Amino acid sequence: MEQSVSLTTLIKASVAAILLAGVAFVSFILPAEYNIDPTGFGQKLGLTVLAQSAEAAPIAPQSKTNSVVSKSNSVVSKTNCAASKTNSLASENVIEITVPANQGIEYKLQMNQHDKLTYEWMTDGDPLYFDLHGEPEGDTTGYFESYAIATLGTMKGSFIAPFDGSHGWYWKNTSAKAVAIQLIVNGHYQIIGLKP
Amino acid sequence: MLNNKPMYRTGLLLLLMLVSVNALAHGVDDNTRNFLQQNTGVQFIPFLYIGAKHMLTGYDHLLFLVGVIFFLYKSRDVLLYVTMFTIGHSITLLWGVLGNIQVNAYLIDAIIGLSVVYKGFDNLGGFKRVLGWQPSTRWAVLIFGLFHGFGLATKLQEFQLPDEGLLTNLLAFNIGVEFGQFAALAFILIAINFWRRLPSFERFATLTNTFLMSAGLMLMAYQLTGFTLQ
Repeated sequence: MEQSVSLTTLIKASVAAILLAGVAFVSFILPAEYNIDPTGFGQKLGLTVLAQSAEAAPIAPQSKTNSVVSKSNSVVSKTNCAASKTNSLASENVIEITVPANQGIEYKLQMNQHDKLTYEWMTDGDPLYFDLHGEPEGDTTGYFESYAIATLGTMKGSFIAPFDGSHGWYWKNTSAKAVAIQLIVNGHYQIIGLKP
Repeated sequence: MLNNKPMYRTGLLLLLMLVSVNALAHGVDDNTRNFLQQNTGVQFIPFLYIGAKHMLTGYDHLLFLVGVIFFLYKSRDVLLYVTMFTIGHSITLLWGVLGNIQVNAYLIDAIIGLSVVYKGFDNLGGFKRVLGWQPSTRWAVLIFGLFHGFGLATKLQEFQLPDEGLLTNLLAFNIGVEFGQFAALAFILIAINFWRRLPSFERFATLTNTFLMSAGLMLMAYQLTGFTLQ
């Protein structure tokens, strides 16, 4: 069933496979995926940009499961990264979030200290308990600072981030049916998204 | 038939392109993530769809399948090997999620890369040549199938799926994986069977399997780097 090649061909094929994989790995995969660029080739080709923008789009610590629920889509989020990198442009996103019945969810944005965020959100009916708060970057003690806690069906406001870190809402749905929230944010931020 | 050669070539090329364009990424995209994290209760069709999509867009699974059926001429053999693979990954997919077995996703994906290298080397008759005997190809497919299933299980476990309706959802996902696999196989088989009629098949068989090995090595290196950096 299998083809049986000569030993010389086998060795040649194996060596070729390893060499090809090695070259592709070092010059393309490492720079593009991990921003590791031993040859400097990735930089020249502009491949490292890929990994850098992935790093810039913040991934919450020790979790790969965060998601962006943004209806306005990844294209917009990507421009957000660029915008907040240069720190010149504010961006706006309209995000739709569903809080499942009898569950709480957290939706966070990464913000630098003194960056301002204007926001507005409303549920599709029932008021929800919420806690708008921030967690400092690199903090492992579980510390957070709440900016507002209430049970409301809609809210409008703004805040200036007191520290670098993730800022956003915890919504709790105590009813027996899912509640949809439309959230509009405007300012300097990068979307982290839902936290489980 | 010889007159149609260029047409076959173009057809093959188009098919391969279709496969590669579809095989975008192995992970789970944002919309799917969103769904997985927010779903409650039994969601048969959505899970079916996610399973099928995962298989169709997972280039590591596809590469392995290409390796497995590369030298299978009889449809009976194709069916047999694909069944072995299916049994393997179904067992570990269900076991992994239901038993809540945590396996490192990078390591599992590296082993899946290894399965591609193994199959490429095997197709070249490498084991017979080096070891002097042929390790059972059926067992190899079954065992690597087990690892592919763990790979699927770790992807799903990242989402802390609610217990409500979990078994049904998992079964739906698994059936979806089989659908996806059959769809992918249909493309791969058509492409390979066309190609097999041409003299270039034999000429490039060695080269193709060399590329297969190489792609497997790249996947391994990629995942192992991810493992060391995590």
